[in-house]
Amino acid sequence: MKKYLLNKKLVIILISLIVSFLLIAFSISVRDKRNTPTFVQQIGNEAAGIVNRVVEFPIAGIKKANSSVIDLINAYQENQKLKAQVDQIAAEKVENQTLHKENQQLKEQLKLNRSLTTYNKVTAYVISRTPSTWQNQIIISKGSLAGVTKNSAVLSRKGLVGRVVEVNKTNSKVELITTKNEETDRFSVQVLSENGDVINGLITGYDIDSNRLIMGQITSKLKIKNKAHVITSGMGGSIPKGLFVGEVTDISNNEAGLPTKIYIKPAAATNDLSVVTVALRKD
Amino acid sequence: MKFIKMKYLFPIGLFLALFLDGSLTLAFDQYFFTPFIAIESRLVLLWLIMAVCYSEVEHILLWSGFVGAIFDIYYLGVMGIFILIFPLIVYLTREIMQFLNRSFIVVLLVYLIDITVVTILFYWVNSLIGFTSVSVTEFISRTLGPTLVYNLLWFVLLYYPLERLFEDVQ
Repeated sequence: MKKYLLNKKLVIILISLIVSFLLIAFSISVRDKRNTPTFVQQIGNEAAGIVNRVVEFPIAGIKKANSSVIDLINAYQENQKLKAQVDQIAAEKVENQTLHKENQQLKEQLKLNRSLTTYNKVTAYVISRTPSTWQNQIIISKGSLAGVTKNSAVLSRKGLVGRVVEVNKTNSKVELITTKNEETDRFSVQVLSENGDVINGLITGYDIDSNRLIMGQITSKLKIKNKAHVITSGMGGSIPKGLFVGEVTDISNNEAGLPTKIYIKPAAATNDLSVVTVALRKD
Repeated sequence: MKFIKMKYLFPIGLFLALFLDGSLTLAFDQYFFTPFIAIESRLVLLWLIMAVCYSEVEHILLWSGFVGAIFDIYYLGVMGIFILIFPLIVYLTREIMQFLNRSFIVVLLVYLIDITVVTILFYWVNSLIGFTSVSVTEFISRTLGPTLVYNLLWFVLLYYPLERLFEDVQ
């Protein structure tokens, strides 16, 4: 009898292991290939999303109180710094408006309604974050009903923060750019060299210790200034051109035939998000 | 407290704990994820273990599997990880507790072992499916250590309230 029981347990363990591995394999292939998850996953996601919004509310309140105290402490220093910048901003704004207008007129003359830089914005707030070291995912409050599509870019006020990996009806999952994951697609980015030539490349990785994105697969070995701005190039896929990624801090130009790597300081902090914008390309 | 039945209280608390995990992670993620530490909040496991130790909930294995499934679908987007890990931990804890007396220190040690097992299993699965390539030493110093400290802190804070709750409500 005892031997029989042992066998039964063994069989149950084995079956559940196999089922679990099958489920993992199945959901990874769904994640990579299909635009929307399966029916069961969708139902679970919708239900969980609705309940989570209720739970999230008081926690958000606590966070707000906490951050407003910190803000109060920093306010004086910040004020000093900002005063210096305010004068510049007005001038830049006027210039920006003029350029924007000129750009529009030029586009009209060329009959170019849709270019790589035009995109629709969907604003969403962040409901939750995966409690896991290995998945840097956040869950946002807009889904396919608001027009969010898979692989769209997600921005905070300062710049690019991630990409949509799963779209449900009323919420979607966003993988942050700081994810060290070999499975996901790459962002194609570009940076201007010292003489103004465009250098294309891909975001190939992230260095946790120094908080730097790594740009690899670079098309040319031209010289790049420090603090040059890196933007998305709009090539390949559903990400518009001209989204700000970050500033160049360091270049490892290896003589020994190893590929060049450009280290980028991300413009947006991915660790303090409450509202994000999904950029949906128009073309 | 007598009108509330465990039948209703247990699932409510279970899902509250599940969503609190995510919300706490979001609210404090600048402290949870730094270059040197990475904390995984596991309040839901605390609720499960306290329920195993201090009350008799019907179908607790099924409930833990169900909450694991929601965890997988909602947080990870990859099914089949916690749907297996949570029932396994509940089962193991139940087997172990048959031989032990329930006291603060004993349950704390059991909970410590549970958190360690869950974190290691989760790391192992993720490195297996290529979601991470972090070395074991880095995993232990960056993730396992801080996760244990954080979750034990919650255990110390919530042990007496939860013990009272589970013993009063039946």
